[in-house]
Amino acid sequence: MAAVGEQISFATQFGRNIFRNGFEWNEFLHQCYVVGVRSISLVAISGFIIGFVLTLQTQPTMKQFGAESFVPGMVAISIVREIGPMIIALICTGKIASSIGAELGSMKVTEQIDAMEVSSANPIQYLVVTRILACTLMVPLLTVMADALAFVGGWLGVNTQGHVSATLFFRKAFAALEFSDMIPAVVKTFFFGFAIGFVGCYKGYHASRGTESVGLAANSAVVTASLWIILLDAVAVQITNLLYY
Amino acid sequence: MEQAQINQVEQEPETDKEQIPEDGVVIRIEHLKKSFGENQVLKDINLELHKGENIVVLGRSGQGKSVTIQCIAGLLEPDEGKLEVLGKEISTLNEDELKELRTKIGFLFQSGALYDSMTVRENLEFPLTRVLQIKDKEELTKRVEDALDSVGLKDAIDKYPSDLSGGMRKRVGLARTLILRPQIMLYDEPTTGLDPITAREISELIVTLQEKYETSAIIITHDMPCARITADRIVVMNDGEYIATGTYDELAKSPDELINNFFK
Repeated sequence: MAAVGEQISFATQFGRNIFRNGFEWNEFLHQCYVVGVRSISLVAISGFIIGFVLTLQTQPTMKQFGAESFVPGMVAISIVREIGPMIIALICTGKIASSIGAELGSMKVTEQIDAMEVSSANPIQYLVVTRILACTLMVPLLTVMADALAFVGGWLGVNTQGHVSATLFFRKAFAALEFSDMIPAVVKTFFFGFAIGFVGCYKGYHASRGTESVGLAANSAVVTASLWIILLDAVAVQITNLLYY
Repeated sequence: MEQAQINQVEQEPETDKEQIPEDGVVIRIEHLKKSFGENQVLKDINLELHKGENIVVLGRSGQGKSVTIQCIAGLLEPDEGKLEVLGKEISTLNEDELKELRTKIGFLFQSGALYDSMTVRENLEFPLTRVLQIKDKEELTKRVEDALDSVGLKDAIDKYPSDLSGGMRKRVGLARTLILRPQIMLYDEPTTGLDPITAREISELIVTLQEKYETSAIIITHDMPCARITADRIVVMNDGEYIATGTYDELAKSPDELINNFFK
C-alpha cells in the first residue's frame, strides 16, 4: 500500500510539474533523441523481422485452405492491431525503461538528485517530466515506423514462395485495414510510452542507496513496465471491442 | 598535484542580511529525533549555529552525523523535535517556502555529486539558470568563471566530471554550491577519500571561502586535521546524541576516553 501511495504521489508531482513555468525544452528534445532516434535501428530491424516471420509462419496454413490471397490483409491486421504495438512496446521497455531506471538510479546513488533538490532546482521537472513525455511521444512514432517496416518484411516473406508485386501486396494489406483498427492501436501506444517512461523514472528515482540498487532499479523497471504494458493492452482491447464491435 | 591557488575576487558577496535572526542564531536544533525503522539514529540532538561560525561535528561512522545535516537541508524529515533554519521552522514550510529557504543553504556532498552528463560549466550554470533565472550568456560565463577562479579551477571549465580527480570534483562541487551565495554551508565529509595534501587544501579552502562569503557552516568529518583547520567549535557525537562541545584545544585535553581517542 505504501508503494501505491508513493506512486500516486510521484504521478501527482509529475502532473503538477508539466505545467510549471520553466519547461525544460532542451532536455526534452535531448530525451526525444535518446529515446527515439537511438532506438530506430533496433525497432526497425525488429519490425521488419516480425512482418517477415509472421508471413512465413502463416502462409503455408493459409495455402492449405486456399486462402493465400488473404495473407497481406491478415498480416496487416495482426501487425497494426496487436503484434506491432505490443512487441515494440516490450522491446522499448527492455531498452528504454531499463536505461532510464539505471540512469536515475545511478544519479540517486551518487547523490546527484539530492544535489539538485538541495540547490532548489527542480529534479522532477528536469529529469522526470522530460523523460516521461519523451517516451509518451516517441514510442507511438517508433511503433508506426516498425509497423510500416513489418509490412515490407511481410511482402518480402510472401515473395520467398512466389511472386507478388509490392503494389498488389500493399493494396490488399491496406484494403483490409479500417480506422477502427488503426486509431485504438495508435492511442494505446501513447499509454505504453507513458508506462515505460513513468515506471523507468519511478524505479530509478526511488532506488535505495548502494550500487546494487542501480541494477535492481533497471531490472525492476523492465519487469514492472512489461506487466503494465500487458495489463494496459488487455484493457485497451476491451475498450476497443466495446467501442467498435 | 592540484594547485592550491585561492584567488581573491573583488565581487562583494550577495548575502541577504534580512534573513539572519536578531539573536544571530542561523540554525537552532532542539531535541531532534530520527529513526529508520527500528534503528533510532538521532536520539536527542540540540545545537545552535551562530552567524559566521564553523561547527565541526565529530563522530564515528554510522552515528547519524550526515542524517543531521540532511534534516537541516530538508532531504529527510525528522520524527520529533524543533529545527529552525534562518528563523524558519522547517516542518512548517510548504514546498515553495522550502525551495526558497534552500537557496540560502549550500550542501557539499561527500562525493561532490557533480552531474556527470554535464561539463563543469554546465554544472555551475545549472543552479544559475534554474534558481536565479539568469539567461544572459555573458553573465552566466562571468559568474561561472568567478566561482571556478575562487576554487582555483578556471582551466577545468569545459571538462567532464569523469576527467577530474577526487579533489578537483570536491572543488567544483564547492564552487557550484557557492555560486548561489548561500548563508549556511553544510559539508558532508569534505576531505574523505583525499590524500593528506589535497585534504589540507580543501580544509583551507573552506576557511578562505567562509571568510570571503561570510557563511556559517556545519562540517561533518572524522578527519582531525580538517577539524583543526576549519572548526571554531567542535561537537562530538556518539550513539545519536551530542556528548561534548568545545574548541579543538579544549576537547584535545578531555579526560573522556571516547573523545580523547579522536585526538590521538
